[in-house]
Amino acid sequence: MGTQSPPTGHDVELAALSAAGDRRAYGELVRRHGSAVRGLLRRLGADSATADDLAQDAFMTGFEQAAEFRGEGTFAAWIKTIAARLYLKKVKREARLIFSDTVEPVEAVMVGEASRDAASRIDLDEALKTLSRGERLCVSLCYGADWSHAEAAEALNIPIGTVKSHVKRGLDKLRARLARPEEGARREAHG
Amino acid sequence: MAEPDFDAQLSRLFAEPPSFPDAALFNAEVAARLDRGWTMRRLFIGAAGVAAGLFAAVQILTSRFSSEVAELSKNSSHDFETEVSAAVAKVNAVLTAPASAEAVWLAAGLAVVALAFAVTRAVEEF
Repeated sequence: MGTQSPPTGHDVELAALSAAGDRRAYGELVRRHGSAVRGLLRRLGADSATADDLAQDAFMTGFEQAAEFRGEGTFAAWIKTIAARLYLKKVKREARLIFSDTVEPVEAVMVGEASRDAASRIDLDEALKTLSRGERLCVSLCYGADWSHAEAAEALNIPIGTVKSHVKRGLDKLRARLARPEEGARREAHG
Repeated sequence: MAEPDFDAQLSRLFAEPPSFPDAALFNAEVAARLDRGWTMRRLFIGAAGVAAGLFAAVQILTSRFSSEVAELSKNSSHDFETEVSAAVAKVNAVLTAPASAEAVWLAAGLAVVALAFAVTRAVEEF
């Protein structure tokens, strides 16, 4: 209890200390993974305030359930899973989870806006805004939270085939959106 | 080849957390919530322990009192007044002798503290 130096060590060790009630160790885990969780929630579609509230809730839940983390996966993936589930629960509660095969009109606006900074670095967050809600959720869950298609299908309560098609369509759009700035950057690098 | 390349690129992009200028504030808010939750939990556990201890102490004291009453009524056929006066004398002896009265209250107090401690430990372990 005497030393005030920040806790160090692997995430698994810090999680074990947290499970024993060590809030300083858990604070270090929050420091390491806070931005990743906040970023994931935004990428799933939460607005800034909601994302931060849910990220805090996720970390509180993580502290309560720290004993359940046994280091089989990474702590980052574990806490992201908690955060994603909290977000999906909230979205379902608010009945805003609508999967539609139609493309939302936001795409045209975002592509037009994106063309202004075509030469700048790749911006995943902007690119994700060009996807429909379902595509964005499925892509972010599978790539951002490292969920399998089956896990996403179960959490979203939709057929796995629907998840796969959302991911495929989402990837096609992201590829098209992300390819241009990368080509620009490559051209710049080659002079 | 383009598909695995893009997959890897996308995974890499997702793995890079965005930087937030208010990251320190976020961390502080989580820490404050943890501290608040911990304090509330300890207060609740302590209060629950004291309540349980008091309840147990009351149970102990009342059960001893009722057993005294039962004993008195059982022997009432002999000489009720003698028994009553003897019981009163016994109670008086216990309560009037400074050391004995203190011992009774001290024991009750210790029982409360011990029970509160035991309940606190049990809840924390749970």
